[in-house]
Amino acid sequence: MNEFIFLSAGYYWHLPILIVMVSLVYSATRHDDWPTIALEAYRWGTRMISFLGMIGLFLYISTLIQ
Amino acid sequence: MSSTTSIPEDSNTELSYEPGLFGAILSFLIPGLGQISQGRIAKGLLFFLCINIFFYYGQFLGQWKNVYLPRAKNLPVMELKPMGFSIRIPNCLSYRMQYGAQFWVGASAWPAIYQWSKYDEDEDCPADPILGKYQRTPPETELNLLQNRSDRAWDLGWVYTVIAGLLNIMVIYDAFAGPVPAQKNKDTRNKG
Repeated sequence: MNEFIFLSAGYYWHLPILIVMVSLVYSATRHDDWPTIALEAYRWGTRMISFLGMIGLFLYISTLIQ
Repeated sequence: MSSTTSIPEDSNTELSYEPGLFGAILSFLIPGLGQISQGRIAKGLLFFLCINIFFYYGQFLGQWKNVYLPRAKNLPVMELKPMGFSIRIPNCLSYRMQYGAQFWVGASAWPAIYQWSKYDEDEDCPADPILGKYQRTPPETELNLLQNRSDRAWDLGWVYTVIAGLLNIMVIYDAFAGPVPAQKNKDTRNKG
């Protein structure tokens, strides 16, 4: 499946640790309440995944257009 | 979950602990230690684990050779000239700016300062009896190999260590002044 060849580049598999750690630490510096920390971390995690996903999608579409 | 989900305000607006400079210094030395000293043990452990895992994972990706301070004594000195003033940047930082952020992770990044103060990368110095060559500037040839022959993990690794250092600045602030209250931000936005 050539469409998913980008996943064979190993460095993409290091992204989850970045998203989890940054979301958790950032949220915990904004709140003291655990449920609030978890909710804020979830929101930041989804924002980062969406942002990175949009960049990935843009790059993928740009390769199709070429 | 939609993006309009509201974050509930923290139930206790009055802090049950005393943030301050002492906690900030402790959190600078070891991430999360300031929060632990203030009685916020779970939160301190969260910071300690997250930042240290992130920092050491970054070093692991870089084959333990992406946190260092070079002497760069044979390279030209860089100067900033804002508004006519001339500011000389030390070569160790101008040729390794990443360390400016890695430094904030605290004691975990200190071996680099020790190696920089004691050993010169241009000379063939023996390994340190305790640290070995940990966080010592690798020779130029080795750095070129790491950057050209690896799968970009070396670069990704230093980015992770830099982010870990920057995250710890927020942790230090949390220990110094407590968390930035969500309500205050909301008020500021409404006024703007």
